[in-house]
Amino acid sequence: MGDIKNSEYVIEMRNITKVFPGIIANDDITLKLKRGEIHALLGENGAGKSTLMSVLFGLYQPEKGEILKDGEVIKINNPNDANKYGIGMVHQHFKLVDVFSVLDNIILGVEPTRFGFLTKKEARKRVLELSKEYGLNVDPDAMVENITVGMQQRTEILKMLYRNNEILIFDEPTAVLTPQEIDELMEIMRGLAKEGKSILFITHKLNEIMAVADRCSVLRKGKYIGTVDIKDTTKEELSNMMVGRDVKFVVDKEDAKPEDVVLEVKKLCVKSHTHKKNVVNNVSFKVRRGEIVSIAGIDGNGQSELVHAITGLERIDSGTVELVGDDVTHKSIRYKNTHGMSHVPEDRHKHGLVLDYSLEQNIVLQRYFDKEFQSHGFIKFDAVRKYAEDLIEQYDVRSGQGPVTMARSMSGGNQQKAIIAREFDREHDLLIAVQPTRGLDVGAIEYIHKQIVKSRDNGVGVLLVSFELDEVMNLADRILVMYEGEIVGELDPKKTNAQEIGLYMAGAIKNNKAEGDKTNE
Amino acid sequence: MSKKTTPKKNIFDNAGARSAFASLIAILGGFLVGFIVLVLLALFNENIDFFDAVDGFFRILAGPFSAGNKDNILFQLGNMLFNSTPLLLTGLSVAIAFKTGLFNIGAPGQYLMGAMGTLIVAHSIPTTVVPPAIVWIIALLTGILCGAIWGAIPGFFKGVLGVNEVIVCIMTNWIAANIVSWVFKDSVFINVAETKMNFIKKTSANGVSTATFGLDKFFSGSSQYSRSYMDISIFIAIIIAIVIFIILNKTTFGYELKACGYNKNASKYAGMNEKRNIILSMAIAGGLAACGAALWVLNGNQDFKWEVYQSLPSDGFNGIPVALLANSNPIGVVFSSIFLRYINVGGSNLAAQTDFNEYVSQLIIAIIIYFAGFSRYIQEAMIRLRAGRKNKEKEGK
Repeated sequence: MGDIKNSEYVIEMRNITKVFPGIIANDDITLKLKRGEIHALLGENGAGKSTLMSVLFGLYQPEKGEILKDGEVIKINNPNDANKYGIGMVHQHFKLVDVFSVLDNIILGVEPTRFGFLTKKEARKRVLELSKEYGLNVDPDAMVENITVGMQQRTEILKMLYRNNEILIFDEPTAVLTPQEIDELMEIMRGLAKEGKSILFITHKLNEIMAVADRCSVLRKGKYIGTVDIKDTTKEELSNMMVGRDVKFVVDKEDAKPEDVVLEVKKLCVKSHTHKKNVVNNVSFKVRRGEIVSIAGIDGNGQSELVHAITGLERIDSGTVELVGDDVTHKSIRYKNTHGMSHVPEDRHKHGLVLDYSLEQNIVLQRYFDKEFQSHGFIKFDAVRKYAEDLIEQYDVRSGQGPVTMARSMSGGNQQKAIIAREFDREHDLLIAVQPTRGLDVGAIEYIHKQIVKSRDNGVGVLLVSFELDEVMNLADRILVMYEGEIVGELDPKKTNAQEIGLYMAGAIKNNKAEGDKTNE
Repeated sequence: MSKKTTPKKNIFDNAGARSAFASLIAILGGFLVGFIVLVLLALFNENIDFFDAVDGFFRILAGPFSAGNKDNILFQLGNMLFNSTPLLLTGLSVAIAFKTGLFNIGAPGQYLMGAMGTLIVAHSIPTTVVPPAIVWIIALLTGILCGAIWGAIPGFFKGVLGVNEVIVCIMTNWIAANIVSWVFKDSVFINVAETKMNFIKKTSANGVSTATFGLDKFFSGSSQYSRSYMDISIFIAIIIAIVIFIILNKTTFGYELKACGYNKNASKYAGMNEKRNIILSMAIAGGLAACGAALWVLNGNQDFKWEVYQSLPSDGFNGIPVALLANSNPIGVVFSSIFLRYINVGGSNLAAQTDFNEYVSQLIIAIIIYFAGFSRYIQEAMIRLRAGRKNKEKEGK
């Protein structure tokens, strides 16, 4: 408070080296954060961003290097120390108590008390002031489990502000947000910086860095590559620094050559578990071989339930699903899996992987009963190992111990790659991919997009569900927009733009007949 | 030996070895604390001094070998191995449930149902018509079937209706206890001898008893009256343990069961019938616990107390510590069950021979189990130690 701030930098991390068994996560990294700037930290999965931030937040102790605040060396032993020095962090997976109200979450750990009793009144006043000052719209009395992801994130930000933190770390904050929420967050971040807060913004989304950051430091495979001023750089240069080679942002693909229908959904309805309305209401569409049909929409408009109904994870209340001309409405998941359906699930931890199984065990999750992998009920371990090794190499799945690595210990990107490898390598006519690139870095996204297009060109019908408009625009041959459980429009990506899709996504335009008419042809 | 020549390999890189080693550390920790307890007891008892405590400790450690002469040792060994059988199988029952993500606290009930089924069949089929060996087999299988059905009930509630298996297991335990008491009350199966009215007739009364191949004679004292209970049932149990190990680790069936235990949703996604697998897991667990009971009563010399509505058989519950100590490894269960019986025998000897009472050995077992709870922590510590050493090796180079 009022001391001489004799350094241009509010935080300096000098020559940080952090070693984990078998891997150097941070190798001599220097990061300097100016007061009042938004400083992006860019890098692929496993580049060492999170480790570096965990060092700053006191979760890890570096083997070498020092941290300076306002030019003075400080020692951060734990998150409490970090908090003492005004460092706060919004984690990628929020650290909120679901059954507490927003206000309770904000004051948790620094509860104002008088004679041992909570005095929430003042806290509430302060929270409301802060939320007004920074445009962080929250309802302090709502239960966290009932509010949107965006509001949960704003609660996390308020938590930092309430603790008077002046160095704010955002760990991949946009991964869970809708396009609109991302815009709001960008606005909030600009506001915070204007008020003198210094922001470290961890991400691998280049658009966001270009939109909001002042400077950007790039890490690659644990090493420091450089720091650039955003106004002097381009997306291409940044991605080149990050990946070490040129990355194409637009997927190269030729026009689709749709052939026969592989998936036909007719008047599909799924009832909600919580309310009377159908979460999926009278949905009909077709997917043909050689085309990518993409379902766009804001998360929570029935996309997940639609996919679950098609794949068999959820019960269908009415309507039919046909897979390559075969009515599979009431067939088992195993039947669908073995009759041409591949499914990259939305939630890789819940559905995609058995985390306590090894990588190779996960690779054969739907194929362990194949003649190739078992005889008389006994698993052929050699065959499984060989198959897993093949896929690991072919799809570049990286892990500590190869096929025997526990899935739980792998990075999110590589877990996803393992699922992609498994689903793409299975014989299939229809590929259903839900958020296939969620949480992945540019290099991996490019790779997965290429694979999807390749599948399409090999005559697979692709149903892609994505909440990322860029991905939809890039990959789709046809776009269906879902809003409140219904398909409200069918668009041609060549003839539309993000604004128009956005209007459909928000329910501003409805064109219910778009698909219905076609199926009745 | 070839493995040792490569410098990077280390026995503790193997998860199984780590797990076994962690159990050993737990046992040592239990002994250490148990010894301290003995010394403390000695301090407060005028009849016992420090050296008695040391002596007592070694009596417990020696298990049946503290029995004195060779005959007694053999006799106690025989009974120890026989009494390990039900414990081994209930341990296996709990272990396989653990491995598939379930907590089978219903082993006592499954045990009782198994005993009931076996006893009724063993006494009802006249051995004058059917050869005793055949009756023995039918009785054993009936017992296993009864237990499997009893285990499948909590499995059904868990798998289909989502009810926590612990609650249903506890309820089925008491239901089983009451059913068994009710079925046997005033029945023809009760031993008519005045002093034995609380018990069911021994199966040997109908000529049905497990083959011994002279083992009972081998494990016996010099007097012809003190023949031990030893029969082949412990070997049957060990074979079952090996079979379960193979099923869990080598077969597609075991792969499915474990997958459902670890992640029900992913198993469903992969097209497995996760509901059926949960029911099957519990049925197998129930069958195993019941098999333990069946082998115990089929010995032919055991009195089964039928009035059980107030107390559940301890062998059912003791399957839980057996499984814990073995880290739910079926092969480990063989060792942990025999080990716990071994300490038990040592404790009885301690009580019989000294001024200590036998609860001390129970206390030590409890402490060992308590330490077994740390086994995961011990394993992680080993991984960390190992990783640290590897790093040093690297830096050294």
